[in-house]
Amino acid sequence: MRSFHRGFRSFRRNYARNLIVVVLLFVCLTFSMSMLAVKLAADNQVDKIKQTVGNYGEIKVSSDYQMKQFQAERQKSAAERAAEARSMTPEQELANRTQDLVPETMTDKFSKAAYIKTYDKVLSARVQVTGLTNTNLQKLFQLRESGPQEQEAGPMGNLNQNTFFFQGNTNGASASDFTTGAKKLVQGKLFTYDDYKNANPVVVIEKNLADQNNLKIGDTVEAQVSGQTGVGSYMELKITGIYETVQAEQQNQSTSAGVMANFNPAGNSFYAPTSVVQKLNTTPGYVSLGSYYFGSVGDTAALNRAFKTEVGSTKKYEFATDLSDYQAIADPLLKARNTSVIGLAGALGACALIILLAMVIIVSGRTRELGVLKAIGSTDRQVIVQYAFEVLCICLVAVIMAMGATALIGQSMGNWLLPKSQKTSQQSSMEGGPGGPMRMFNPNSLYKEGSQFSLGASSQKQQAAKLNVVYRGSLFLYGILILVGISLVGMAIPVFWIIRLRPARVLSME
Amino acid sequence: MSEREILKVEDVSKTFQVKAGGVTAVDSVSFTANKGEVTTIVGPSGSGKTTLLYVVGSLEKPESGEITVSGQDILDPGTDLVRYRRKNVGFVFQFFNLIPALTALENVMLPMDLAGVPLEQQRKRASELLDRMEVGGRLLKARPNKMSGGENQRVAIARALANDPDVILADEPTGNLDTATGKTVIDILTGLAGENGNCVIIVTHDESIIGVSNRAFHMTDGRLSEIGA
Repeated sequence: MRSFHRGFRSFRRNYARNLIVVVLLFVCLTFSMSMLAVKLAADNQVDKIKQTVGNYGEIKVSSDYQMKQFQAERQKSAAERAAEARSMTPEQELANRTQDLVPETMTDKFSKAAYIKTYDKVLSARVQVTGLTNTNLQKLFQLRESGPQEQEAGPMGNLNQNTFFFQGNTNGASASDFTTGAKKLVQGKLFTYDDYKNANPVVVIEKNLADQNNLKIGDTVEAQVSGQTGVGSYMELKITGIYETVQAEQQNQSTSAGVMANFNPAGNSFYAPTSVVQKLNTTPGYVSLGSYYFGSVGDTAALNRAFKTEVGSTKKYEFATDLSDYQAIADPLLKARNTSVIGLAGALGACALIILLAMVIIVSGRTRELGVLKAIGSTDRQVIVQYAFEVLCICLVAVIMAMGATALIGQSMGNWLLPKSQKTSQQSSMEGGPGGPMRMFNPNSLYKEGSQFSLGASSQKQQAAKLNVVYRGSLFLYGILILVGISLVGMAIPVFWIIRLRPARVLSME
Repeated sequence: MSEREILKVEDVSKTFQVKAGGVTAVDSVSFTANKGEVTTIVGPSGSGKTTLLYVVGSLEKPESGEITVSGQDILDPGTDLVRYRRKNVGFVFQFFNLIPALTALENVMLPMDLAGVPLEQQRKRASELLDRMEVGGRLLKARPNKMSGGENQRVAIARALANDPDVILADEPTGNLDTATGKTVIDILTGLAGENGNCVIIVTHDESIIGVSNRAFHMTDGRLSEIGA
């Protein structure tokens, strides 16, 4: 205890010399700890990103295959297509309807692969609903009728104003539009997994559509089963829930009046159990995609291998993941982290060098003092503890100051280290990337991002664009570790010197 | 060994290894010193006086011989030399060797602090010693660089007395002082022998000090001979 006191006293009394060392250490330590803060922040953000991005994949018909099919259809005239449809056998009709779909057997089997955490089956289909008008399509048809290409029916030829987009999955609560927050249930309840298993004819509809048509919970709507006519070709669907489109609401609030205020295409989407949509679409055993969440981005390669093993060499299906989204978000953070690690190592090396050199200078300048201490009855241990405590005081002051400075400049360091390209990638994602308004027409987009007006991925990228260097408890703990580390390095010189020192030699010197 | 004999050095030799070979600094030296007496060793520079003093103070280890202080063989491997330096000897150096960062009072308290003496006791004894050395008042809190050479040396003597040692080893205590101040310091050291009963050994090249000592030795090339024997 007395040695500590003597060390502290020596630290105070030699303040001018110690201050120089403290300042030098402070500069290097501030840099080290800022780098450390950036690294911790980047690690933390990447970990958080891993929980939501990079851990999703879906099995669907590949975009290449869909494009080829689309181009082949475009080569045919409307008459040819009609003739082809008339001559089809029931098996050919089913094959035609399911050419853009995935067999459930495939998605079910893949759900048993390692790393898979959740599994959903999604089927999107266009369904005629008697007595209801799709306001979005109504406008589209009006535009087509007044435009120069009114003769060309094209692929939309089988649509009419009663056509609605039905999206089916196994549990309404896990439908991506609801999980991303793009839509929220305002009345009733969403369908459940039991509804899916029992193919209960239930549906969730949009609030504006319900208001316009005086529909409420418990009412039924009549949907036509695709490809069937006559008695038994209609299905009564009971309305169990009414949802609101969050993005459309925001538009309404921000726009004073006019077309945009009433434009609510999301209102034309119905949500129902996949098994019900399969019946309506007459595609039993087929889904648009199998949707999977797995452990983390690190499992992607293993799942890709598992998928290839399952589908073999066919190019029709693909396992699309959000790996590129993860990379777009996490790569700049990882680059900043790697740079910070290099900076941290360099700055810590400089700290070690400074304290070593400083102690060499200090101890060699106080050799006579060491000799006197030994001559008047100090043990090696007493002298070592005294000097060690003096070094510890120097390092402690420098570390405390550096911690304070890090709190001030850590964020600036983070901004400085974050690659500039990050901002560009963020802008592009906002303009037309996954999750933007064009999502519906982008074959590369993923179900998890939601359908139109999704808030999911783009807002996440916005968050990732900024490296939030916040002061963490772990930084304080690392600060203590650094303190101990550099103190030990600094102590090495006095310890070595004190043990070797022979007081008679020192005291003989003039 | 007489009752008053406190230090006995017998056939002690110390050789330093240099590039050219071994240099014998202390060559088969034998002498004794008594309580309450001043023993002076004079000789030219490089004659081995300081080495002999350091050997007696256990700062150097001789190759051969025997040294007994207060009946304790300090060359015995079992002897705790740190304890010996704390309790049995007090050093006074030519260049004072006070700790620059400490005040006069703290410098005197330091040996007691190292020996584990309670703080209040340290302070009391250090004040008494400095008072006795006529270093008091503002000088108690002065650092060595704010004091004169004579004041520094008096503080150094007070420090040497801190743990009430049997033997005071003074290495050229007047070497860095003017004549008048040097005389005062010698008076203090001789006073210590007379009043305290300390055994004071002064190593110097100033032969005028021989006159105030009880016994005097001359050292040349590591060999010791008693003056007037």
